[in-house]
Amino acid sequence: MVSLEFHDPSGAVEVKQPHAPRIPALAGTRVGFVSNEQWQAYRMLPRLKALLEADFPGIEVLPIDAFPQGNAVIGSEETAALVKASGVDAVIIGNAA
Amino acid sequence: MTNAVAGLGLAPDAAMVTFSIEMFLPGSDISPVETRKREFYDGLTRWRSAFAGDGAGQAPMITVEATSVEDALTQANHLMLAKRWGDGLPLWPPTRGRVDWILRGAAGPRHRRLGTFPPRGGITTIESCAVALAMAGGRPEYLPVLVAAVEAFLDPESGSETLQAASGSAFPVVIVNGPIGDEIRLNAGFGCLGPDPQRPAGASIGRALRLLQQNLGGALPGIGTMANYGGLRYTNVIFAEDEGSLPAGWAPHGTERHGFVPGTSSISLAFANGATNIRRRGAKKETPEEDAFQGMHRMADFMRVPNMAGLSGYEHGTPGILMIPGVVAQTMAGLGWTKASMRDFLWEHSRIPAGELRRAGGPAWIEIDTSKVARDSLALDPWPITARPDNFVIVVAGGGHPTNSYWLQGYSPGVVGRPIELPSSFATLLADADRDLGPR
Repeated sequence: MVSLEFHDPSGAVEVKQPHAPRIPALAGTRVGFVSNEQWQAYRMLPRLKALLEADFPGIEVLPIDAFPQGNAVIGSEETAALVKASGVDAVIIGNAA
Repeated sequence: MTNAVAGLGLAPDAAMVTFSIEMFLPGSDISPVETRKREFYDGLTRWRSAFAGDGAGQAPMITVEATSVEDALTQANHLMLAKRWGDGLPLWPPTRGRVDWILRGAAGPRHRRLGTFPPRGGITTIESCAVALAMAGGRPEYLPVLVAAVEAFLDPESGSETLQAASGSAFPVVIVNGPIGDEIRLNAGFGCLGPDPQRPAGASIGRALRLLQQNLGGALPGIGTMANYGGLRYTNVIFAEDEGSLPAGWAPHGTERHGFVPGTSSISLAFANGATNIRRRGAKKETPEEDAFQGMHRMADFMRVPNMAGLSGYEHGTPGILMIPGVVAQTMAGLGWTKASMRDFLWEHSRIPAGELRRAGGPAWIEIDTSKVARDSLALDPWPITARPDNFVIVVAGGGHPTNSYWLQGYSPGVVGRPIELPSSFATLLADADRDLGPR
């Protein structure tokens, strides 16, 4: 019998921080969008905003352009700070393809 | 997306609602947003990561057992494909012995951390490079070049974090300067972008880089990389500049672009998304001046295209890498041309008239570019394909024949240089290579 032992080439990754906790319910919350303005986000995100507003009483959904838009800026620390300062309970980010 | 999430240091999953690509096209039916709205709501309220723990630590060793060496190799290759670690060509299983042999080429400790490979965030060490090089059929004396190339790749200036996942099929181009190219049998001459048993180093170094991109970086086709075509990704592109054919007064690329002292072994890494052979030589009774001038125009004409992906390097990167054979460089230098005057010519004559740019929808892409320099360039008519002539990379390489030059179209936010660190035993490694591979 021949035994061949070799390295797993996929290595390891580090998990340095947890995902954001989920919110218990959407009614009465404040929700924002961060849009890259690509891949029909300009149509899909407003549709989702309207759905949220119709389905959850007391929800406040910020305008799609409340935060800077576009691939060039949505990943920046500045945008993250604006999102945090806005006091939203949750954000939806889109679109990737 | 999960690669990108992992690369941020989060668990490698995320609350996502995914649709088929058709919904992301202009004029699409977006009603599934409504029919699947519950998935969005659940993502905000009920979703939980499937991963626990910090994920760090050594990856385990893999074992296969078989009745013969040949069967063990077969099983190992089947397993590596099943695990999505291969590229479809036969692999050397990276056994401890083989990896330790490759590590004889290491200039630092095997666990020295080089960074994390984007976007997945795989921890990248000298040992990871040796594992990939072992799989790719490499040798110890290649390791210093691979490590330098990986360091450049991981430099945020290279743009690799975006290009690894992007649809534009970018592939890294590694240009090697200094004596190491010849020493390790890296091709600078005939067929330098293809296979050559006399100078085989580029095949396994480039292949190892690709395996790292896939196995540590997560760039699996259609899953971790959306590259439509993925051209030249079996081995990427790696070659040496033919410094022996540089005309007097022409500096090596590593000196011109990165300031390395001539004679320094170094690499320079950029990304390209296209590769084109250009028939540069004239066909009739041209004078040397006419031949040079027409060839320059023909090369500029190949560059005068609306390569919107190239905008990523408009300010600091490169519109592409032009390779010219040494015999052409010598002729051009005899007529008074320098690399700098060639770059000036190409910059001027590759400009695109504004009307043609508009017709191709170019302004929309330029207007949303991150670079103000790129956005402001819209005011220029004809529009220059890069911010300044110095962004063009010109390298003397290719066989000693005057007919063709080669254009590697850029998709390169930066051009990153690194000196190559050698182990103290490097001369021994070269002697071993002479023993193993025969005379040059």
